[in-house]
Order: sequence, then C-alpha cells, then structure tokens
Amino acid sequence: MASVTITNVWKYYGKTVAVKDLNIHCEDGEFVSVLGPSGCGKSSTLRMLAGLEHISAGDIHFGDMRVNDLEPKDRDIAMVFENYALYPHKTVYENMANPLRLRGSSEDLIKKRIAFAAEMLEIEHLLQRKPMELSGGQKQRTAIGRAIVREPKLFLFDEPIAHLDAKLRARMRGELKLMQRRLGTTMIYVTHDQLEAMSMADRIAVMHNGVLQQLGTPQEIYNHPVNEWVAGFVGEPPMNFFDCELVEEGGRFVLVHPAFRQMVSEAQSALLRGALRGTSVRMGIRPDQISIGGKSTVESVAGTIKVTEPLGGDTLVNVDLKNAQLLVKTNPDFTGAMGETCHLTFDTGRWHFFASDNGVAYF
Amino acid sequence: MASRDVVTYKTPLSRLLNVVIVIFLAFYLVWTVLPLFLMFVSSFKDLLAAFQLPPVGAFSQIGLFFDFAPTTKHYYNLFYNLDFSTYLMNSIIAAGGSAVVSVVLGSMAAYSLSRVDFRGKGDLFFWIISTRMAPVVAVLVPLYAIFRGFDLIGTRTGLILAYTTFNLPFAIWILKGFFDNVPFAIEEASMVDGSTRFQAFRAILPLVAPGIGAFIVLCVLFAWNDFLFASIIGSGGAKTLPPATRELVQPQNIQWGSIMAAGVVTTVPMMFLGLLIRRYLVTGLTMGAVRE
Repeated sequence: MASVTITNVWKYYGKTVAVKDLNIHCEDGEFVSVLGPSGCGKSSTLRMLAGLEHISAGDIHFGDMRVNDLEPKDRDIAMVFENYALYPHKTVYENMANPLRLRGSSEDLIKKRIAFAAEMLEIEHLLQRKPMELSGGQKQRTAIGRAIVREPKLFLFDEPIAHLDAKLRARMRGELKLMQRRLGTTMIYVTHDQLEAMSMADRIAVMHNGVLQQLGTPQEIYNHPVNEWVAGFVGEPPMNFFDCELVEEGGRFVLVHPAFRQMVSEAQSALLRGALRGTSVRMGIRPDQISIGGKSTVESVAGTIKVTEPLGGDTLVNVDLKNAQLLVKTNPDFTGAMGETCHLTFDTGRWHFFASDNGVAYF
Repeated sequence: MASRDVVTYKTPLSRLLNVVIVIFLAFYLVWTVLPLFLMFVSSFKDLLAAFQLPPVGAFSQIGLFFDFAPTTKHYYNLFYNLDFSTYLMNSIIAAGGSAVVSVVLGSMAAYSLSRVDFRGKGDLFFWIISTRMAPVVAVLVPLYAIFRGFDLIGTRTGLILAYTTFNLPFAIWILKGFFDNVPFAIEEASMVDGSTRFQAFRAILPLVAPGIGAFIVLCVLFAWNDFLFASIIGSGGAKTLPPATRELVQPQNIQWGSIMAAGVVTTVPMMFLGLLIRRYLVTGLTMGAVRE
C-alpha cells in the first residue's frame, strides 16, 4: 500500500505536449479517477505511472520512493488494460499465475492467491478455459484477477469496462468499487465516462488538453465546478449555458438575456462585485435545477416545448426560448406536449456564473 | 463479420466456362504431374526398360510404361558408389542450419523493427529488403571472392552463411509483419507482471509461431533447391544434392537411372515436409492478414 505523488510532470511526444505540469497527490488506499475526453493526457499519465512511458519532466513518487527510473517490473504495480491484454495461448489459470511465476512464487502460494481472486470475481468455473472461449465480461474479470493476485502497492486501471455492454458496465461499477474497498489497495482509474468516475471514485482528477482542471470529491466537482469546461463535462444530461449581460439595479445585479431577466441574490452579487471583469458573463444551470410547469409566476420564463424524451424514471424536455434552447429534467408525470407553451423557474441558488473570457467560475 | 461465401450466379456462359476450366485443369494436372511420375517410375526401371517406348500414336500400348521389373540398383548405386549420403547430409545441414540462423536472428531484428521507433528506421528496413531484390548471379562473384578470403569455400559453414544472406532479409521482412499484428498490450502486460523486455519477447513468440514455422519451411525449401550457391561456394567439400545430380551427366555416359533416382531423393523430402506442415503453412502465411 502506498500513496502516489505526481509532481510537476510533463510529457512530450516529440514536439507535442500531452501532459502539462501535472500535480496530483493520492492517499494510501484511495480510489482516484482520472477523468477526461480522448486526448486529454489521462492514458499518458497512467502509462508514466506504470513505467511504460518515459517521464519528460517532473517526478513521480510511490510513498517515499522516486520511481522515474524504475522499470515496470520493479514498481510493484498491477495494471488492467483497456483491451485486457490476456495471453491468448494460456488458460485463465495460467494467465493469472503468470505474474507470480515470473517472481518465482511457490505453487502453493499461486494456487491460494488464484483461488481467492477467482472466488471474488466469480470465475472459478473458467480457470481451464482459454481467452478465446470467454465473453468480454469474463475476459475482463480474468484481467482484473491477474492484477489482484499480485497484491501490489498500486492498481492502475485503464478504462477497463469501456468495451462491455451497458448493463454489464453498470454492474461492474458497483463491483469494482466494492472490490477496491475490500482490498484496500490504492487505485488510479482512468476513464472518459463521467458516470463511472462519479460513482466509483473517492476523488476525481479532471483533465483537458493535458492540463489538470480540478481535483476534488465527486460532490465538489459536481456542485462547485472550477470552470465552464468541467461544469459542462460532468453531469448527465449536460449543463445548459447562456451568454448573458449583468446590470446593476438597486444594489444587486440582474442577469439579462434576450429571453429572460433574473435577479441575482445578495450573496452572489457581493461575490461578483469583487471579481467581475466587464459586464458579460456565462450562466450555467443544470437540467434538474429548472422546474417546468403550465402556470406562469413572477419569476418564470415562458418557452415552447420542442421535444419531450420520456426516460421512465425522468422526463427530459427540450424547450425553445428566444435566442436559446435548453434541456429540463423533470418528473415522469409531466404532461406537456410538443408545441405547447410552458413556464420555467430557475433555481437561482444553485446556478453557476462563469467569466466569459476564460470560463473560470465566479460561483 | 462478412460472409465467407462468394456468391455467384450460374448463367449459361458461366456453366460453359466451368467446363472449359475443368478441361484446362485436367491438362494442367497431367502436364505438372507427369514429369514427376515419370521420374519416380523410371528410377525403379533398369535402363533397357526405361527406354522402351511405344510407337507414336499407339495409345493402346500405354501399358508398356508399366511393364517392367522394379529394381533398386540405381538407389544402391547412388548411396554406395556415388557418395550421395554425404550430399544428402550436406543438403540437410546447409538448409536446416541457415533456416535456424535466419529465424533466430531474424525474429529478434523483426521484433525491434516492429516495436522500436528510431531515426533512419524506414531506410534501414528498405535497405534490408533491397538486398533480396538483387539478382543472385550479380553478387555471386564478389561473394565468392569474400568467402575465399575467409577460407569458407567448400565448407558447410560457408554454405550456411551463403544461404543466410538471402534467407535473413526474407525472414526479417515477413516476421516484422507478424509482430506488427501482435498488440503491444500483451508485452506491456508481461512487463508490468514482472518480465524484462527479452522475456516479454519470448512470451509473445507462441503467438507468431505459425508464422515462424511457415517461414522455416520456406527457408529450407529455398536453400534445398538452390543450385547456384551450392555449385560455386559449396563445391569442393560441401556439395549438396542439386550440383551432385548435375555431375551425373558425364561426357562418356549419362547415367539416366541414377539421375532419376537422384531426382527422387531430392524431391521426396520436400514433398513430405510440405505435406507435414500444409495446414500450418496456410495459417502462418495468412495469419498476419486478419486482426483477431
């Protein structure tokens, strides 16, 4: 068991920068997810942690040990690859035994560890099969089993459930989280799926274009995104954004948009007054923070229903406003039809304002 | 996965074409097999019987070809009087030796060309392949001079080395394709599991084994049938079967019987080899084509 500290790490591929000045600290036993879209540098980071890529600049420490110059086999890590990387000509048992054999462990130890892992992953009945005879989910469990038997200091998982079908993915999310809690090993989990990161991780490191955007608990990332990009990336369905102007009226700010005018609370106005640059701002509000109804009120905004998507447990409503379109998530009893007028109320306590020049959040 | 069936529609034209094709194939089969058959049969006939031919046009007398008392005296002559057991051994050692050397060195070179990116890699690879493009006759004289300088003429080592000059580039070229089709992730998994780079290389060898097997057979085939290198570089001490057979054609007396027997001795081992690995040859040569 060890903590992981990434200090000022850069990664260049020739002249292209893949990772810029990355700083992450991961506590012993913690589950940290590195989240981001394709090409954001998360896989490069993981491979640098594993020793499969050179570190262009900066240091990586496991506990107190600096690992920059250590080969993968000396780092005491276990990795699960996106495509499982099982040895096709070996049985499941031999695949899982391989890391222990390479270290010269005794047959007894190998048998014991494999039994433990196979039981935890429910693949005991598959031990004599070859990878060709396994389904995707079974291959993935074998790959995870191969990582578990090592009892390493650190787990590195590279999008392990990306190629499974949706139902299996949903199930594996819970199982992987439970497994990590049970084993207590530090885990770094790379994914592009924000649902996976939010549901499994203790803390999430959100990356974009090689730069770490925010490092925090799922709640922090969801409720207090540090910039517009993180706010738009995390959360399904994604946040609605509006380009607005701010005017001062009677000691408070008013948010002005061609389709609506909304009062900004005193506390939020105070925050803005200190930090605001210019008068334009981007407002972000999540679909579940908007209520939709048939009756208008003082604060409500009128719009036309464009499309409704009933999902069973929720209903998504696409609403047309003047100069804008937004998505509202409401309860399944919603009865509005397409083309009807509806009235929206914003939860102004929970909305977010972002600077229009660089996207940094005011609140 | 696309259907493996080639869907064809039968028209009168295609039916006619089929008949024409079958007739053509029948002729082609006879054309190909007949010389081998004659060689095989003649090797068991004594000279008198071998030259017994029916008159032209008398197809009914075709049985004359099969009317003889089989004898093994030509084979006996080869192996006891003409030293053919040595020549056979030379062929086996030269072909097998060069195949093994080419595969061992070639697989390591192919692996590094496949995995590592270094400056000048494209040029190096082209240079390696281009040595195979040169006509062997053109390089024979310089090679002879070099080999003579190292006292390698007429030795089996020299012959193995000579065959390796054209087997090795071929090995590197083909095996690189096979290594390219093994995903990196397997070696990386092996290295994270605890192996060194070389152990990881050994770990993926079973995955390219059909390719290596197919390639060994091709190497042996090229070397076994080779006449040029064997007669120039092998002459004097490391004669192999092809030049030895050539020598049976002597000024005073062409020993047809022995020639036929020598032909059989040269051809049959290769036929056996081909039959043995026939299954793997197709898998090995096409394995690189389809990604698993």
